[in-house]
Amino acid sequence: MTTILLVEDEPEIRRFLRSSLGAEGYRVVESPNARRGAVDAGTQKPDLAIVDLALPDYDGRELIRNIRQWSTMPIVVLSARHQERIKVEALDAGADDYITKPFGVGELLARVRAALRHGARASGTGPLVLGALRIELEKRRVLRDGKEVRLTPIEFRLLALLARHLGMVVTHRQLLAEVWGPSHVEQTHYLRIYMKQLRDKLEDDPMRPRYFVTETGVGYRLVGDDEQ
Amino acid sequence: MRWTGYAWAVVATLACTAAGLAMRSRFDLVNIAMVYLLAVVVVALRYSRGPAICTSMLSIAAFDVLFVPPQGAFNVEDAQYLLTFAIMLAVALIISRLTDSVRAQARAHAKADAQAETERLRSTLLASISHDLRTPLAVMCGASSSLAEGGERMSSPERAALARSVYEQAREMSEQVAKLLQMTRLEAGGITLERDWGSLAEIAGSVLARLRERLAAHRVLLELPEDLPLVRVDAALIDQALSNLLENAARHTTPGTLVRLRARREARDLVVSVEDYGAGLPAADMERIFAKFEHGTAEGSRGGVGLGLAICRAIVLLHGGRLWAEALPGGGSAFRFTLPIEEAPAVPAETALA
Repeated sequence: MTTILLVEDEPEIRRFLRSSLGAEGYRVVESPNARRGAVDAGTQKPDLAIVDLALPDYDGRELIRNIRQWSTMPIVVLSARHQERIKVEALDAGADDYITKPFGVGELLARVRAALRHGARASGTGPLVLGALRIELEKRRVLRDGKEVRLTPIEFRLLALLARHLGMVVTHRQLLAEVWGPSHVEQTHYLRIYMKQLRDKLEDDPMRPRYFVTETGVGYRLVGDDEQ
Repeated sequence: MRWTGYAWAVVATLACTAAGLAMRSRFDLVNIAMVYLLAVVVVALRYSRGPAICTSMLSIAAFDVLFVPPQGAFNVEDAQYLLTFAIMLAVALIISRLTDSVRAQARAHAKADAQAETERLRSTLLASISHDLRTPLAVMCGASSSLAEGGERMSSPERAALARSVYEQAREMSEQVAKLLQMTRLEAGGITLERDWGSLAEIAGSVLARLRERLAAHRVLLELPEDLPLVRVDAALIDQALSNLLENAARHTTPGTLVRLRARREARDLVVSVEDYGAGLPAADMERIFAKFEHGTAEGSRGGVGLGLAICRAIVLLHGGRLWAEALPGGGSAFRFTLPIEEAPAVPAETALA
């Protein structure tokens, strides 16, 4: 049974998350604060953690750094609106995805599923199929309607990074650091230009992308067909 | 400010002394004293007591040493000039005191005006909140209590419909509360722009995806040129401004009509427009609709707390742009805003293909 650690101080929020996650068949371990969360993360062997960023004892970001020192379990953060910077910092500190309060449960379950899949997926998976697109990372090629699409090396690296995090957000900083190198993390205009190129080559309607989704102020997300 | 008064005290005394020296051959000493008195009056009116007293002291010293016999010395031969000195000092004290009290009154008035304005906003705010937030609250209370207390007697589609309406109303309310908070933040100057290179096409695409349901009843056309330059903006805020304009267009026009989102480059500006083909705006509303808690005067234009456009304008202003409304020929209205264009640094070219 998949265990989810829920670190959240508001009992009412824990209540509805407990019932909806429970209804999906997950075992839910609840921690009302960061200190308890850090302990439960070690003792309860969760497969995934949901961490509220505003905890009463210490910062959720610190808890994430703490967990990341010894575990690669997927972490989804809950953040309030207008906490763009904190949210991005949490992601750069090692969280895998986020959801903004108030949220619908459907949205949260989608994030949880994507994160669990990512955690379970080791390297070397089969091709990724998105509508008419077939992305074969090992063969370093992309087919659209069966025909190979020519990508530049940078476009391919960008695509590969997003594909390895299918369904999950990847921050601007992470994309820039991995694709262009750590000294380019401020060059966001590179990303704008290359994402446009990727969309032009791979989306049916590049202005209204279906797969290469913009997370404004945060990063990008490659969304699979089942999460549409 | 504190020292400028004293500086002017010195300047005024020097100017009077120059004037006095020029007048000496043709005027009585009393008239020269009047010139000094004028300086004292002017400084006392303009600045506070300190500079006024300073001017009178400097004037007395200069008048005494340079003009009152014996010249070049501090002592006074004729005792009547002591009276002149006393009067100068008295004038400085009286006028500066009067000025100070007038100034204090003006400050009190300004404060009272600001308080009255805050009070007016607060009451409009309360009126908006009670009207626009109570309805969703009433729905939420009613629907959720029906579910909690009699849910088991309902059919499952009925239950689902009630639950959905609680969800929708809660979403709506959360939007409105977020707008209130955002406006408060924008007004308190608590928002610093996190500018980054952004693509308007990308922001627009993401707004349209998020508002898909709200815009579903309208035909939305996205008309952006391929070569639109990048802009240095706080993408989250521009996203919000664009969302507010599009929602507005959808809310105030008949379902089925066209809503156009377009952009073009105009010299050093990017001009973004949201155009609708609704009833159009009365000329009197063109500017008024941007005020807080205002709704258009046209029928059926209520909805929301009336902050959408005020927030848009604040966001655009923060970015150094302008936002205005225009009537479209043939009916409908356009909301346009500008964003200043900076040239983005070049991106290293990549020639090889993978």
